[in-house]
Amino acid sequence: MDQAEIINKDVNIVAFYFKNSARRLRCFPKRMEYDGKRINFTETGLVHPTKKGQRMIHVFDMTDGAADYRLEFDAADLSWKLIAITDTQYASISPKFRTAPQF
Amino acid sequence: MPRYLQNLELPLNSEQPQILHIDLNSCFATVEQQARPLLRGRPVAITNRLTKNACVVAASYEAKALGVKVGMGYADAKLLAPELIMVETDPPKYHYVYKKLIKIMRSYSPNIGMKSIDEGIIDFHGTRANVNRRPLTVIGHEIKRRLRDDVGCWMKCNVGIAPNRFLAKTAAGLHKPDGLDVITHHNLRQTLSGMRLTDLTGIAQRNQARLNAAGIHTPLQFLDAPASVLSRQVFHSVCGDDWYRRLRGWEVDDAERDTKTIGRQFVMDDYAASEEKVLNRLAHLCESTGLKLRHKGFCARGISLHIQYKTGDAWHSRKAFKSGFYTTPEIFRRALLLYNQHPRHDYVVMLSVSCYLLEASTANQMSILDEVNKEAFLTEAIDELNDRYGNYTVTFANSLGANQEIKQKIPFGTTRYFELLCDRA
Repeated sequence: MDQAEIINKDVNIVAFYFKNSARRLRCFPKRMEYDGKRINFTETGLVHPTKKGQRMIHVFDMTDGAADYRLEFDAADLSWKLIAITDTQYASISPKFRTAPQF
Repeated sequence: MPRYLQNLELPLNSEQPQILHIDLNSCFATVEQQARPLLRGRPVAITNRLTKNACVVAASYEAKALGVKVGMGYADAKLLAPELIMVETDPPKYHYVYKKLIKIMRSYSPNIGMKSIDEGIIDFHGTRANVNRRPLTVIGHEIKRRLRDDVGCWMKCNVGIAPNRFLAKTAAGLHKPDGLDVITHHNLRQTLSGMRLTDLTGIAQRNQARLNAAGIHTPLQFLDAPASVLSRQVFHSVCGDDWYRRLRGWEVDDAERDTKTIGRQFVMDDYAASEEKVLNRLAHLCESTGLKLRHKGFCARGISLHIQYKTGDAWHSRKAFKSGFYTTPEIFRRALLLYNQHPRHDYVVMLSVSCYLLEASTANQMSILDEVNKEAFLTEAIDELNDRYGNYTVTFANSLGANQEIKQKIPFGTTRYFELLCDRA
C-alpha cells in the first residue's frame, strides 16, 4: 500500500517565479519550513488546478529526492498548505527499469 | 449497406489516412508517476479504494511486465509483484491531463472526439489543404513532444494513423508504449497477418467463437470473408456489414449516440449493512443522479433500481411515470417505491439507480401546483449553493454522511460528466 501521511497544515514556503514567454508566471516552491525542518525541493512532479466550491486551488506535487510532498496553494488568500507526505519506504527499483525513458 | 450491394466486393479504402488516434499509455499510472517522481520506474497499480479487496484499475508498464493486469485483485497482484505500490485514484489530476490533451488536439482540428478519459481522435478531413500541410506522422511526433512539454517528461502516448477510427485505434496499439504507427491500404494485410482475432477491438471470446464457427480463425480470413457471410452467418445483424466495412478502412464508427440513461451505482462499503445504512447510500445515489440529470438539462420519466445481494443473487425493478421529474426528492421518492418491493432475504452489496425515458428539462416551466414549484425553487437554490461552496455543502438529510463513503471515482468510457464531477469534487 501507499505510505501517505496526511498533514493538512499551513506551512511557510519560499517560491521562485519564472516568466515564460506568452505564458503566466510559473511557480516553483523551492523551500518549505515544516516541523522545525527545512526541506529543499528538487523537482516538481505535476502542478494542476482544482476547485473547492469557487475557490481556485493549485496543487503542487513536489519531491526533495527522499519523499513526495503534496502542497496546495490557495489563490484567494495566497496561503500554502502541506497536505500529505508520502513515505519513501518503497521497494527498490528493479534494475530493468532503472533507466529513464528515452525521448 | 443496401441488400443489392451485399454481394459486391468493397475494395480497401485507398484514401490517404486522415484519422489520428491518441492513446495515453497506462494513463492513471503514468500520471501518478509523473506527479510523484519517486514512483517512476517502480511497479505501480492504481485502485479506487485502498483496501485489501481493491481491484487494479490501471497498472504501470513496470507492473504489467511483472504480470499485473487491470481488474486483478490486490492480493493476486501483490503475489505476482511483491514490490507493487498501490495508489488511490486522484480524479483532478487526470482531469488536468485530459484538458491538456483536448487543448493540444483542438489546435490541429475542430473535429475531435474523446473516446474515453485517455483516448482521443483527431479527424483531419478538410484541414489538410491550408492548416495541417505536414505529414500526419510529423504531427503525431509533435503531439508526443507537446504532451511532454505541457504535462511532464514522464508522459507517453501511442499514436495511430489510419483511414478510419477502428484502424487508427488498432495502429495505436501496435507498439506500446510510446509507439507511432500508420495503417494504409498498402500495409493493412501485413499488419493484420501478425495479429490474433482477439487483438481486434470489439472481438472478445464470444465474437471469436462466432467467427470460428464460420471457419474464420485469423484477422486476414476475417478481412477476406464476404459481407453476406458476416451479416447472415456470423453476426446475424447489420453488425456483420459494419465489420466488413470497418476492416476495409471505411468509416462506420463516427455516429454520435444520444444519452439514454443517467444513473449511479455503488458497491457497499459494508457487506453487512443495516437497512438504515442502505437507505442512506440510496439517498446519496439519488442525489448524485439528480445532479447529473440537471447538469445535462434533462428530466426523466422512468426510474430503475438494481440490487445485488451477498449471495450473488440480484433483483431489478423499473417503473415509468406519466410526468417528468428532475429534483432529488422526486427521484428518491420514486426509487423508494421500487426499493420497498425488494425481497429482504440477504445483505445488499451493490445498489444502482438509473433514470430513463429522458426528455428536455421542464425546469423553466412553472407548475400550477405551488408544492411542485417550491421543490423546484429549493433544488435550484441548493444547486447554486453547492456550486459556490463545494458539493454536498447543503445535502439531503437522508444522505447525511454518505458522501464521505461514496467518493467520486474516475469514470470509465464516457467522459460526459467529467467536467461536472471534477468541478464539484
